[in-house]
Amino acid sequence: MTHTPAVVVRDLRVRFGDVEAVSGVDLTADSGQATALLGRNGAGKSTTMKVLAGVVPPTAGAVSVAGHDAATDALGVKRVVGYCPDVGGLVPRATPWEHLQLTARLRRVDDWEERGRDMLERFELGDVAHRVVGGFSHGMSRRLSVVLAALHEPAVLLLDEPFDGVDPLGVEATLEVVADARARGACVLLSTHLRDLALKACGTAVVLRGGNRVAAMQAAELTGEAYRALLD
Amino acid sequence: MPSSTDAWSDALRDTGHLVAFRSRTVRRRGALVAGVVVMLGLTVLFALGPGSLHAGGELGDLLDTLVDSLTGNVGAALLGTLVLSITSSMSSGGGRELLSRSEAAIHPISARTEHLGALALSPLNLAWFIQMWGLLAVVALVAPPGRLVSAQVVAVTWILAATALGQAIGWAVEGVRRTPHGVLVVRVGGGLVVAAVVLLHLTGTLSSLVRALPTTWIADAMLGERWYAVALGLLVLAGLAVVLGARPAAWALGLPPREELRVQSGVHEARPVPVPRWGSADRALLRRLDRGSVWRSIGMRRGLIVLGAGPGLLALVAGLQWSTVIVLPGLTASGAALLFAVNAWCLDGKGMVWRETLPVPAADVFAARATVIAECMVAVSGVTVLLAVLRNGLPPLVTGLSVLACWLVVVVQILATAMSWSVRSPYSVDLSSPRATPAPHAAMAAYAGKLSLVTTMTALLFTGAAATPVAWLPIAMAVPFLAWSTWKLRRARRRWLAPVERARIVLTVAAV
Repeated sequence: MTHTPAVVVRDLRVRFGDVEAVSGVDLTADSGQATALLGRNGAGKSTTMKVLAGVVPPTAGAVSVAGHDAATDALGVKRVVGYCPDVGGLVPRATPWEHLQLTARLRRVDDWEERGRDMLERFELGDVAHRVVGGFSHGMSRRLSVVLAALHEPAVLLLDEPFDGVDPLGVEATLEVVADARARGACVLLSTHLRDLALKACGTAVVLRGGNRVAAMQAAELTGEAYRALLD
Repeated sequence: MPSSTDAWSDALRDTGHLVAFRSRTVRRRGALVAGVVVMLGLTVLFALGPGSLHAGGELGDLLDTLVDSLTGNVGAALLGTLVLSITSSMSSGGGRELLSRSEAAIHPISARTEHLGALALSPLNLAWFIQMWGLLAVVALVAPPGRLVSAQVVAVTWILAATALGQAIGWAVEGVRRTPHGVLVVRVGGGLVVAAVVLLHLTGTLSSLVRALPTTWIADAMLGERWYAVALGLLVLAGLAVVLGARPAAWALGLPPREELRVQSGVHEARPVPVPRWGSADRALLRRLDRGSVWRSIGMRRGLIVLGAGPGLLALVAGLQWSTVIVLPGLTASGAALLFAVNAWCLDGKGMVWRETLPVPAADVFAARATVIAECMVAVSGVTVLLAVLRNGLPPLVTGLSVLACWLVVVVQILATAMSWSVRSPYSVDLSSPRATPAPHAAMAAYAGKLSLVTTMTALLFTGAAATPVAWLPIAMAVPFLAWSTWKLRRARRRWLAPVERARIVLTVAAV
């Protein structure tokens, strides 16, 4: 029996008008593993994540997410993925509970209320579950985005900058979500600028530069010096 | 410490910088220039055209009757301009902003600059243009030959003064709204004013009160020998209103926006998942989310209420004929579309990316958004029609069919146009402030001009149909309009369904 990784990306290219945001990324990520996606601003990390989430179609290349082709079956991709976008990601005049309700309903998750309540408590959002998110701080919005990505226990969990502006308790809760997802056999892809947290959460690391993959290694091998050398 | 003159010159300079900054972000300069030329051309047409109308026979008699009825109502028209300026600035939280609150936060922008910016943006408003054109047309009709230019000079100076006065009063009301219990005070005050107007009308004293106001004197004086003194006086009044308006602006902008903060911190207990009688529960949930995004926004809620009640009250109090009422649904629905629908995806703001990750067919998302937009337009224009029915009673068959057909046509027309614009030219905007607009100001002016022109011309065609005895004519006329709009709507939907187009829209609206 051949082993198929949960995420397979071959020569991914994404073009926005004259700008090529991603120019030939190759990537594989296995179930039960967490992979860090590292690189400088504009390296193509967030665009790659958006393609994997089914938000942006690939211009060229092959992208398979849990067996679904991102180019032809974006809806199938969305069903198996939980995605925390890098910026915002929340409807400003809806409450956290309404966000959870919508995501659970559209993914056909029954009896989600208890888990939703529990996750909001873990991320210290229980008190604001029925307030519109437009008044949230950046850190609160980030924490809620992680909750929304993980609520339905997706086969592929995509976290784009989940630690950005988040307090230490929120960081711990996010690391727990990653560990839980790995434990139940999900594939986790985590994009961040914070190397130390990436190493803590992930077993493998992929470094992007200028829209290309420049390295893929065990996270433990990615020392500070090695990382800096890959960025320049 | 800088003198007052220095502070004003700094504010003027800063306003210039902000206007220049905004104008550099205009995407289609050719279209902007064309739009300005069209608007100026229409203004000249309305100011001079009606004065040269001459006709004989029945049409001439009709024109004479129209001029006779308008001659005594120029003062009321002037008052209407002032009321509209006040209502407009009140409903937009004091006035529009040159830079959004989050963009402006990092810059040292004074309250004077905000005030001047809001004044500069006042004309970029559908209601303002329609009112101005209406007033210029009325003055052109009643001014005797040889007095037209001087009367129009006075009318223009009155428009300037009314805009500046309206702005100052709008800031003052916004200041009151931002005090503790201020929202309640403004709501009760507004309700009392409306109740007083209705009561005066019912007791038959409204007309005499309006005639006793100084606007009647201005209307008489603009046609007399000393028109220049009136124009000069109005210019001084406009200048004073601009200078004095900075005080309530500074007061209002120095206070926390309580109503917005209350909405942001307010509790909205979740309701169970809807179980619709027909259609899918997913779509019902999407519609509920979209409705929440509209009605929980201070600016949109306030705008929809004003659009629903304002023209409706006018129809109720002034006793507008059905030939005039038929134009109103198009204008009020256009106003509703201009609150958010011309950039429909901006309702989601940065949450657009998250919405796009939900496993729901793109067609359902489009259908839910279009339905909610149509609901808003039908609601506000429906109030106008309903109040007109209360005032005038049920219209004759052909007139009634014309009103209904026209109403349906303009709603579908505006929906198709708004969805097309939303797909073609999405913008990233933050609508948390009632002072924000769903698209850049130049685009808003173009949208307002196009919507008002198209819907008014359509309504005029149906007014013609209402004047005939042929009952099937308005229905037959509606068919090609509806077919064309449906085709446009389906084209916008097709573009939305294309993954690459949708990704462009999502990334633009979410600004990522």
